[in-house]
This record gives sequence, C-alpha cells and structure tokens, in this order.
Amino acid sequence: MFRFDRRLLLNFDWGLLATVLLIAAMGLANLYSATYSPGAGASPYFMKQLTYYLMGAGLILIIISIDYRVLLTLNYPIYAITILLLCIALFFGDSIANTQRWIDLGFFRLQPSELAKLALVINLASYYYRKDTGKGFTLRELGAPILLTALPFILILKQPDLGTALMLAAVFISMTLFVRLKLRTIIVMASSIFSLIPIGWFYILKPYQKKRIFTLFNPELDPHGSGYHIIQSKIAVGSGLLSGKGFLQGTQVHLNFLPERHTDFAFSVWAEEWGFVGSIFFLACYIFLILLALKIAGSARDKFGVLLCFGIISLLFWQAFINLGMLLGLLPVVGMPLPFFSYGGSSLITTLIGLGILFNISMRRHMTFNS
Amino acid sequence: MKKNRSLPSMQRTITRINKLDAVELFILKRRLAVATIFILALTSIIILRLWFLQVYKGYEFEEKAKVNRVRELRIVAPRGNILDRQGRLLITNRPSFNVVWTREDAPDPDQVIKRLAKILNEDISSILDRIRAGEGTPKYVPLLLKEDISWRALAYIENNHLNLPGVRIEVVPAREYLFGNLSSHLVGYLGEINKNELQRSRQGEYEGGDRVGKQGLEKLFEKQLRGEMGMSMLEVNARGFEKKQLAQKQPLPGNDIKLTIDADLQITAEKALEGLAGAVIATEVNTGRILVLASSPPLQLNEFVGGISQKAWQAMLGDPLHPLLNKSIQGQYPPASTYKMVTALAGLGEGIITPDTAFNCSGSIRLGKRNFRCWKKTGHGTVNLKRALAESCDVYFYLLSQDLHVDTIASYAKSLGLGQKTSINLEHEKGGLIPTADWKLKKYQERWQPGENLTIAIGQGFNLATPLQINVMTGAIANGGITYRPQFIEEIIDPDSKTIQMFEPIRNGEFKGSEENLELIRQGLIAAVNGPNGTGEQARLEEIIVAGKTGTAQVVHLSHVEDIDSEEKIPYKMRDHAWFTCYAPADKPEIAVTVLVEHGRHGGSTAAPIAHQILTKYFKPIED
Repeated sequence: MFRFDRRLLLNFDWGLLATVLLIAAMGLANLYSATYSPGAGASPYFMKQLTYYLMGAGLILIIISIDYRVLLTLNYPIYAITILLLCIALFFGDSIANTQRWIDLGFFRLQPSELAKLALVINLASYYYRKDTGKGFTLRELGAPILLTALPFILILKQPDLGTALMLAAVFISMTLFVRLKLRTIIVMASSIFSLIPIGWFYILKPYQKKRIFTLFNPELDPHGSGYHIIQSKIAVGSGLLSGKGFLQGTQVHLNFLPERHTDFAFSVWAEEWGFVGSIFFLACYIFLILLALKIAGSARDKFGVLLCFGIISLLFWQAFINLGMLLGLLPVVGMPLPFFSYGGSSLITTLIGLGILFNISMRRHMTFNS
Repeated sequence: MKKNRSLPSMQRTITRINKLDAVELFILKRRLAVATIFILALTSIIILRLWFLQVYKGYEFEEKAKVNRVRELRIVAPRGNILDRQGRLLITNRPSFNVVWTREDAPDPDQVIKRLAKILNEDISSILDRIRAGEGTPKYVPLLLKEDISWRALAYIENNHLNLPGVRIEVVPAREYLFGNLSSHLVGYLGEINKNELQRSRQGEYEGGDRVGKQGLEKLFEKQLRGEMGMSMLEVNARGFEKKQLAQKQPLPGNDIKLTIDADLQITAEKALEGLAGAVIATEVNTGRILVLASSPPLQLNEFVGGISQKAWQAMLGDPLHPLLNKSIQGQYPPASTYKMVTALAGLGEGIITPDTAFNCSGSIRLGKRNFRCWKKTGHGTVNLKRALAESCDVYFYLLSQDLHVDTIASYAKSLGLGQKTSINLEHEKGGLIPTADWKLKKYQERWQPGENLTIAIGQGFNLATPLQINVMTGAIANGGITYRPQFIEEIIDPDSKTIQMFEPIRNGEFKGSEENLELIRQGLIAAVNGPNGTGEQARLEEIIVAGKTGTAQVVHLSHVEDIDSEEKIPYKMRDHAWFTCYAPADKPEIAVTVLVEHGRHGGSTAAPIAHQILTKYFKPIED
C-alpha cells in the first residue's frame, strides 16, 4: 500500500494541477485587492492565505503517496476525531460574534466544521461502497448514513452555522441519490423533508436567519439591515459591467461598505474589478476543474474511488453554487465560502485535501486489485 | 458464467463478485453523465444571472454605485488622557481640522486646487506636491491636503462647500500638552503609522495616515490609550456630498492613564535642569513608585503633533546635549563615589573592616608604579567608616579594596540592583556594567589586575550605572535592602471611570548582607549631609534629616586635565559628571532622590542643590 510505483507519476494529472494553480492565483490576487489598504502593501490576510496554500500543497504531497483505499479502514477514526473536535469547538471553543466555531491552537484557529464536510464524504463513500448491492437502497438501509450525517449536522447547527450544516445535507442528498434508491425510499424521504420544513422554520432557524430569507425576496425591505449585504453585493457585481473597473479599482469594495469582502463576499470583489468577462473566465476555469474531477471519477479503478470523487465534486460544486447564488441575490445569505477565493485556513486546507484525494484516485486508475 | 462451472467454487465466487463489481462500476459511472448535465444546468443559471446583473442591468447598477453610494467613514476615537498622581491633567486632546480631498468626486480638479490654495493661504505648488505624493493610490482614496487648519480657513471652507466638490473637513483629535514638555521622555510622542506597523495590525484596525504611539508611554500603552474607532455610514451623492447619515457607531475613547509622577516635583526637577544635560529621579523607597523621572534637555513634544519636520528632527539629533536620549534610563555613567556604599558593604559583610577600623589618609597611596590619589590632596588623616563615607575619602576605600576580590564586590553590587536592568516598563533601558574577573577575561582576554580593584572601589574604571539604578540602590539602602521595580503607572481608568489596572509594588530582589551593616552605611550618609565636613551639606533641610552621598565621575583620565590651572578652563566635554543620591527622612525613609548632571563637576555643589529643591518641594508642598 505504501510502495511508490513509478507508474503513479506517469499517471499524475498535470491538467488538474494547472487548473488548480490558475484558480488559486485568481483567488490570491483577489484577496490581495479585497484586503488592500493604501500604503500598506500585502495585508496579513494575504500572507496568511499564501501560507495556507503552501501548507495545503505539502498535505497534497503526503496524500498522493498513500493509496486512497487506506481511507476504507480509517473512515471511523476520522469520523470520531471530527465529532470530538466539533464538540470541543461547541463547548470549549473561541466564541466570535456569538458563534462557537473555532478551536484556538495558538498559531491557527481551526474550524472543525470545515473538516467535517470532508469527513462526511469519506464516511458516506465507505458506507455505500460496502453496502451497495446495485439493487437500490431501502429506507432501513439508509438509517446508518442518515445517522452519520445527522450527528455533525446537529453539532454544527448548534454553533450556529447554518451554511455549513446545509452543506452536509447537500452532500448527503447528492451522494445518496447517486448510489440509487428505491423509488419508495425517494418518496418517503421527499415527503418527510417537506414536512420537516415547517418544523425547521418555527423551531430551528434563528430570527436573523429567517430575516435573511425574507429579504432575499425583497431586499429593499431592510436596506440597512439584513438586506444590506445583498444590495451592496449586487451593486458591486452589477457595476463591474462587461470588463470591470480594474485591479484594486473597485469603488464599492474599497469604500468600505461591501461587508465580509475577504471571506464570503470575495467573489463580489472579483466581479466588480474584472467585470462579466472576468466572472465568466473564473466560472469557466472552475467548471473545467469540476469536469476534470468528473473525468477522474469516470476512470477510477473501483466504486470507492468513484464515490469518493463524486463526494468531493459535490463539495466543490455546491459550495460555489450556493456562494455565488447568494451574492448574486438568488439565494438567501448563509455563511458559505467560495473555495480558493474566500479567506480562511480551515476551508482552504479542506479543499486542498479534497484535491489531494482526487489526484490520488487519478494516479491509481490503472492499478489492479491486489487484495 | 457457464464456462466457469469447472472452477473450484471459491474462485468462482470471487470472479462473480468481480464481474458484478465491474457491472456496478459501469452503471455508477454512467450516472456521472447525469450529474454532469445537472451541474452544467445549474452553472448556466449563474452565468445568466451574471449576464443579467453585469450586462443587461449593468448601467443601472453603475448608476446606483455612483449616485447613491453608502460610504463608511471612520471616526477616530479620542486618545486616553494622561494624568499625574493627583489627577491633574497633563496631556489631553484637542480637535484638529484637516482638509481631505477625494479626487474621484471632483470633476474639475484645477478649479478646486486654485480655490483651496487661496483659502489655505498656500502656494498651489505645495498643494500639488501633496497630491503628487498620493499618486498611484486609487482615486476614491481621500488625500490629506493640510493638517490642523485655522478656524478662519475652516469656516470659509464650510461656507463654500458647494464650490469645492470632493473637499471635506475631517476632524481628528490631536494631542495637547498642557504642561509643555513635562515628562517628555516618559510619555513619548505620536507619529504616522508606518508600513511595518500597518502590516502587523489586525485588518481594519489602522489605516495609512493614522497616528500611533512611537515612543515611551504612548507607544507601550498604545492599546490602552487608543480606544475604538467609531463609524458613520453616510449616503453620498455623485459629487461626493454627504446627503444623510444612515447609521452611526460612536467611537469609544481610550483609557486614561494616571501616572505616579507628581507634576509639582517634576516641574521643579525640570526647571532645575534647564540648560543642563542630566537626569533627576525621585521614587518612593517603600513601593518603587516614581515621583520624578526627568531627563534634560526635554523632547520638544509640540514639534511632533502635526508630524515632525526634517529640520526639527535634525536639530534634536545634532544637539550636543542629546535631547533624544532619556538619560535617566539610557545614560550610563561611572557611579563614582556613590559606589563607595557598595565597597563599604562588601568590606563589612566579608569581615574585612568594622565600623571602628581606621586607615590613615595622607592624600595618596602607592601601588606598584602607580600613585593613587585621594580627591583631597592634603589627606584626611585618620578616618573610620563613618568619616570615610561622610567626607568621601578615596584612600580609605583603596586600602579596603586590596583585601576584597572583584567578584565579591560585584556580588554585593548586584544584590543592590546594579549591573542589571531595573525592568522599568520603558523601552531601551540600559543595564549598566559591574565588572567581574570572568567578564574581563572574556572581553579583553586579560586577567584582572589587583590595581584595578582600587579604581573599582571608588566607582571608576569599568563601572557604569544609570541614574535609575543608583536610585534603586539608594532606596534599598534606605528601606532595609529591598530593590523595588521602578513603576510609573498608578492606575489605568476606562471611559466609565472604572479602574482596570492598579499599581502594585514589585520586588526585584533583596540585599545579600545584614541590616546592621546597612544601618552603618546610613549613619555615614547622614553624616555626609549633616556632619561637620560632609560633602553633601548643600542638600540639608532644616526640619528633616536627609541622608545622601555625593559623587564626582571622571570622564577623562586625570592626566588630561591636571595641567589646567583653573577648573573653568577645562573644556565642557572633559569636565566631571556630578552625582548626588539621597533619601529622607533619615529616621523613617519615604523618598529617594537621585541627581546626575553631565559635566557638572562636583556632586556636592551642582547635584546636591537640585536634590535639595526636590526635597523642599516634597516636604512643603503647600508653600507656593
């Protein structure tokens, strides 16, 4: 398992690497602009994010040297550690703006909910790989994966971090639909979800979260409160026009009223400064990355590889879709980072570990089983 | 499957699973196509939306961005006040009106510059220089055109507001020094934030152009003094005029700092030092509270307010009296005769002398080829410890030191706080120097010579100490041997008048010898001020007994100056430094005062009278 085959290097996906580097460069340039203050040069955010990229690159090197199938034996330990970290964050973590999301490690503030996304992908992939008979899952067989998802889902919702919790749900639904369900299972699940919506509305969502959903449909209801984010983001994006205002020239960004411009709203900065052309260029690169990942899934040597790939793809896709939908005013404002663009060590490193697994699967696509 | 019937059943099962797996793998992969279509479909929604916002409706949003923009303005918080121990305001803030200009908001910049030059009574070229300095920064960033304008100019600009698009008055607090340069080295000054400091700060905490503490208290307590920025959200129209205020967050003023410094005593000290280079320190002997920390010449604090000019800075740098140096903690001088207390304590502690041991002083002694002289050429005759301290007889200590090891003297010196930093909470404190045999071997690759003991015994040679160290030593001798850390913060008070930090004495260490021996030294110091031939008689008070020790530190070897017949003819830089250190009242010590005057010649005649003034003020505060 730990032997390094020369063929592995030959099968390395250089195209994927080039695409990732291109997107990373765009993300870093954008972060530079979003946190730029005249006279100060590169901000500490930029420097830190650069460090996280280098750390992530190191992790990728480690990950690709070990066969991904080792995850089949590590899935439960990974899960247990994740749950433990989530509990620590919830009960002993650093409280920022009334949320309990972080564990302070001194040199780094870990956000375990980011790692939980990947841990869930690995666990669902392992479970479905072991149990899938090709006949479709019954509701009873789905009990275990539902539990696997529900535990971190609830812990993260408690923090509260609605965006990340929804992300777990999106990953669960995507992967479960992918492995095929019995028709009856789908019907039962869909109806139970619909019946859960009113419960969620009245008992789970915090008032500020409800407000954000209201303001989605009519942001002008509250232009200086919760509609502020959406209005300002739309103005920033819209005023970018076809070709943008130019690097560091985004007035909406630099006049200090686009909120959270280095984290969740990072793409608004990009859209304002690079315009429609730049936005489409980014989207094209990002979708190309996902297509490359789909290609890796299509050539994986076993079902575990396909499932793992698919889980990572759903992470990459849903985060981007929800983030962009939110800042373009299509979806309510929830905390959702855009991979590679939003500042944040935990999120970036999770994304890069996911990419490491993709490289790993791609490199081992021609290998035969030896167990 | 039928073909494999001949294989053993085990193998058959494996093959079947593999085949089944292969089929399932294929089915699974086929579903990827569905996922791809799904992903592309959702992506196209995003693309359509981008097109809608940026192309189809783009000009509408551009108009919104221009016409109805919300601007966030920072409101600088007033910096915390600095008070003396009695709560008298020493340093506070006053509003300073600055002219800023947002180029983006000005359609006709030339007109604006012309008008402004007239109002501000400045050359167009000097305004253009300021604008040029900001070239390269984006146009939405306001440029600072002039700081601290007059009320007249302010009123004019406000009234002609409509003719000056993009021009705005920014009100920022500036430091106001109610007592001039009082305690200038301690409080330090502010300056424009530099690139390094900006990068080290948290995002949004500071911006280019902000003023931050650069020296002293202002720097070390920046976090406390600074307060929290306020914010005002304004709706601004296309010409940059503020239409209405949407929301405001009031700034939170910084915390006030109450010093242990007594303004009256500090003023007395700084007046006494006027025109001289030197330092005065007064502390409470039982707590380490600093009542006076003066270094002369002072910093010209007002020069720093609007950003110091190159000329003023060069003048301070080039001044022969070195105003930039805080001599009380950074000036290192030979402790001279003040060090005799250490030598005496070492002699008593090691059993080499008793209070009654007498030596004969004939004006000099000979050791090897060298002649070591007493300051009194005619000699003191027979002297015991008390007289030796009171009249500062050098020969007594020469003879005593011959039976002491240099390291032994050093260990006594160190237990009185010398040779190490006092850990006062100020930057760039110097630790002085107390030599040992090992130190010399390392530094000069030479062994310690017995003759060197003689110079060490009277505080010359390698010995160096800061005035603050001598003060700490004096305090320890007065209070029974405890060296307190000198501190200057009495309280830190938040804007709600709640105390968030209180003074508490901190012990640095303790003297290694006995209390009886300290008492013998104290008797000598009392005699030095109050005895018949005492060297420190100019520090004497009428009702209170003062105990003190003079010192005269040689700057150059005696041979350089001994041919000069009159003291007045000795060049300034070659004159001796004058020391005086004392405490009072002798029976129940409260305050320790240390004075150093650079090139002041004699401790008794130059430094002691300054200590006298401080003590007089301290014990009779109501006089004037």
